[in-house]
Amino acid sequence: MTLKIDFGFRKQFKTYKFSLNYCYQCGTCSGGCPVAKLTNGDYNPRKIIEACILGLKEKLTTLLEPNVWQCSTCQKCVEYCPQGVELTEIFDHVKNLCVEAGNYPQAYKAQGEAIREKGSAIPMSNAIIKRRERLGLPVMKTASHSEIQTLLRETGFIKKMESI
Amino acid sequence: MEYKLFWGCTIPARIPFVENSARKVFKKIGLNYSDLEDTTCCPDPTGLPAVDQKTWLTLGARNLSLVNDYNNSTVISLCSGCVETLKTVNHILNVHGDKREEVNKYLTKIGKKFSGNVPVKHVGQLIYENLDEIKKYVVKPLKGFKVAVHYGCHFLRPSEIIEWDDPDNPKTLDEIVTALGGESIPYDNKLECCGCPVGKSDEELSNKITMQKLQGVADSGANCMLVVCPACFTHLDFKQKSLNKEMETQFDYPVFYLTELLALAMGFKPKDLGVRYHVVKAKKLLLELGFMD
Repeated sequence: MTLKIDFGFRKQFKTYKFSLNYCYQCGTCSGGCPVAKLTNGDYNPRKIIEACILGLKEKLTTLLEPNVWQCSTCQKCVEYCPQGVELTEIFDHVKNLCVEAGNYPQAYKAQGEAIREKGSAIPMSNAIIKRRERLGLPVMKTASHSEIQTLLRETGFIKKMESI
Repeated sequence: MEYKLFWGCTIPARIPFVENSARKVFKKIGLNYSDLEDTTCCPDPTGLPAVDQKTWLTLGARNLSLVNDYNNSTVISLCSGCVETLKTVNHILNVHGDKREEVNKYLTKIGKKFSGNVPVKHVGQLIYENLDEIKKYVVKPLKGFKVAVHYGCHFLRPSEIIEWDDPDNPKTLDEIVTALGGESIPYDNKLECCGCPVGKSDEELSNKITMQKLQGVADSGANCMLVVCPACFTHLDFKQKSLNKEMETQFDYPVFYLTELLALAMGFKPKDLGVRYHVVKAKKLLLELGFMD
């Protein structure tokens, strides 16, 4: 199949994450990546960066080639990159675009919903509240609901969660 | 120096016995701390930025803004993920003026402001830096504990932002174990991920990573594991049983959070710490080593 170059995506990406421009495709990231090793190279951080540089938006966010969601976020690629490319942050940006394209694992949406509703990724269950009492632990005072709602409306997160 | 404790989501809401051990240890050593109140999720560095980076930065900055009012205080967290988020948000907003401006535009709506430079420290760092003093409280050395130390990812990397220990050859946690009278056992894949974050998108892959890790522990002769992150804790503790079922392995390694081992060495009873709530039961090991009657 023919791969379409998305010039807008390429330009936006290179401006947004300037460190992308420093990549010279040496492959150190993939050499140190535990997921690349376990998937026999199917998952390959160097190839994701290459597609970002070339502007292959569709390949990354629709076809998921490679599948950016397989990144374990272990930060080894960032640690070892000789050029200071911020790979994990770049992958987050790709994932944000995947979310907008409706291509994301459900667990991320579930966590986003929990944060939207309660401000916490893991709300307290009744069993845990009882367990905390038994251990003599204090009640946690967390952020007010209205404050979280105001903030998440401002950043556009509430709208985003409703639209995906 | 006053410390503000950022507890995060996982420890209070899933493994409160870890919080319990930390509070007991802090009281014992006379740490000047109080809980940082009115917080949200840090948010999870492996979750929310993937959905919406801007919101992740904003909520992280809001959490940091809560400390603006406390001059000369340092944020302490028991979670490597929270530490990573808070340090990275600090870093990004200090380096990128445009992002800081945008985030502050949102924060103004709730009467808050990110001023930058809030010092954040992992409890593992705090303990290591005060190890000589803390050692004085050890009344029951961890004799017989053959510990597979698991550093995890975000305790060390990216080192430019985390600024703690050597990412290729870390030693702080091993030294703590030794100082407490235990033995740190080398094992294969010691510096690899626990497998937790990628479980949100690919469980099979996550299992492979975890299997590798646990196999390394099994081959090493260790009798327990040490972690400094609640995600690593829940994953390595909860997963052993299901992997044993699926893969016909026989993993049975109690996982301890750093402050649990410290508390045991300080003479606290497993019963009072809530060690019974672990999924992989530590009772047999603790009986054998004389830490339980």
